[in-house]
Amino acid sequence: MVEFIWNSLLKNEKATLRKLLKSNILFQDLNPFELSLVENIVNVRNYRPGENIFRQGEVGVGMYIILSGSVTIFVEEIQENSQTAFNSKHTAVTHLKATDFFGELALVEDESRRSASASAHEETILVGFFKPDLLEIISRNPSAGVKILTRLSEVLGLRLRQTTARITELKRELKK
Amino acid sequence: MSSVISPAIQRERRVKLFFFLVALLGLFLVITQTPNLLISFLLALVTHSFLAPVVDFLERKRLPRVLAVSAPFLITALVIGLSLNFFLPTLLIQLNELQVSLPKYFSTASGLLTRLELQVNTRIAQIYPLDIRGTIEPYIVQFTEGFVKKLPSLLSNSLTVLVLTPFLAFFMLLDGRDFIRRLLTLVPNNVFELALNLNYQVMTQISGFIRARVIEGLLIAMIIWMGLLYLDFPYSLLLASFAGLINIIPYVGPLLGAIPAVIIHLANSGQSQELIWLLAIYGGAQIIDTALIVPFIVAKIVDLHPVVVVLAVIIGAQTMGILGMIISIPLFSALKVSFSAIYQHMTDFRS
Repeated sequence: MVEFIWNSLLKNEKATLRKLLKSNILFQDLNPFELSLVENIVNVRNYRPGENIFRQGEVGVGMYIILSGSVTIFVEEIQENSQTAFNSKHTAVTHLKATDFFGELALVEDESRRSASASAHEETILVGFFKPDLLEIISRNPSAGVKILTRLSEVLGLRLRQTTARITELKRELKK
Repeated sequence: MSSVISPAIQRERRVKLFFFLVALLGLFLVITQTPNLLISFLLALVTHSFLAPVVDFLERKRLPRVLAVSAPFLITALVIGLSLNFFLPTLLIQLNELQVSLPKYFSTASGLLTRLELQVNTRIAQIYPLDIRGTIEPYIVQFTEGFVKKLPSLLSNSLTVLVLTPFLAFFMLLDGRDFIRRLLTLVPNNVFELALNLNYQVMTQISGFIRARVIEGLLIAMIIWMGLLYLDFPYSLLLASFAGLINIIPYVGPLLGAIPAVIIHLANSGQSQELIWLLAIYGGAQIIDTALIVPFIVAKIVDLHPVVVVLAVIIGAQTMGILGMIISIPLFSALKVSFSAIYQHMTDFRS
């Protein structure tokens, strides 16, 4: 009985994980065989409300997909109060919910440093996909690796376009 | 959204870290304290480092993981079995002969040391007399006796090692990554990325090191074996195997590899022409190693400062004898990678 419940729970979790991976842009081109390889490689992590996932300036090695819960991305600014005291000011950048993902730049950048901090807003389950995992997939199944990398390039290109548009917008506002 | 961590999260992190460290310590104790397990584990790691790229290659050809592991494993077992069948009888005969002749070689080495001591004391050490023989002889006796007596038991008599090594290597190849992944689930969230990256870096370094050093050792052994066969020198296979194995120790390894051959030569004939040939073979193997093998094969090895290398070898020798000398360099390389990554994470993680 206990085994049955346990297996059902595990199967349920696996099904949710598979569904999440399949819905993510990076893994949407993978066939069921390639998807099951990714499923066995990714890391599922649980976070408490307010717990930091990573901090700005830290060396990052990969990205996270939100399985459940929500995540706040914020920028930390160190302000000098006096000659000896420093104060840290947090500015929220965005609020991410289930199926969103973040930190993907670390997958391609060497010694990549996090440009912002991330913390769990509530009880959150994240799926971590890191550079060693990507390299393992490329080594064991290059076809799956190419599909993921192609989609990753697309995402990074999109982010670059969005940043360029935002800079142009800000410049226009400054001119006004 | 806070940099202040709640006490509950801090407690959870401490508990997780404690259990992770306990699991690591438990694994370390089991591997080092169980008889024959350490040597089996190290040999399994060597097998794993060699077969992992082949297994990945077969998996790329759409072979299921179990088959991708089993196929090269069976072929390797067959090749090793056939090689042992070919080389082991010669090696065992040479070992038995060496054990019989050992007292003769001891007395030659002892005589050499006495002469050296006498010369040094009469020429330069009037003020401070040196006891070279008394200092070096116990080491030579311990080193040679230990190696000669332990090698056959490691190679052929230890059934446990012969059974355990392929068993461990098979499961390392099949489930090693999953095992490490499960172990990493115990790591607290704040150091998880660091631990994952560290594991990847250390494993890549160690695998590269093992592959490069084993290929280098085999090539050195083959060159010396062919040279000694050409010279018709006794115990050629045994001496070549020893030289190949001990070559893993930087700086002192090649020198240590040549000493037994020189002692045997002096005890047997002492002809200067043969000695020149002998030195040419060992020296030539080292020149080929430095000029050709190291730049092309051993390029992946972590650079350790010569002082660190010597210290690592001494510490290895003091704690675990010859095995310690051999594993000290990959172990220190792994420690260096771990230390610099942890240091960077703890001190330099803010831009």
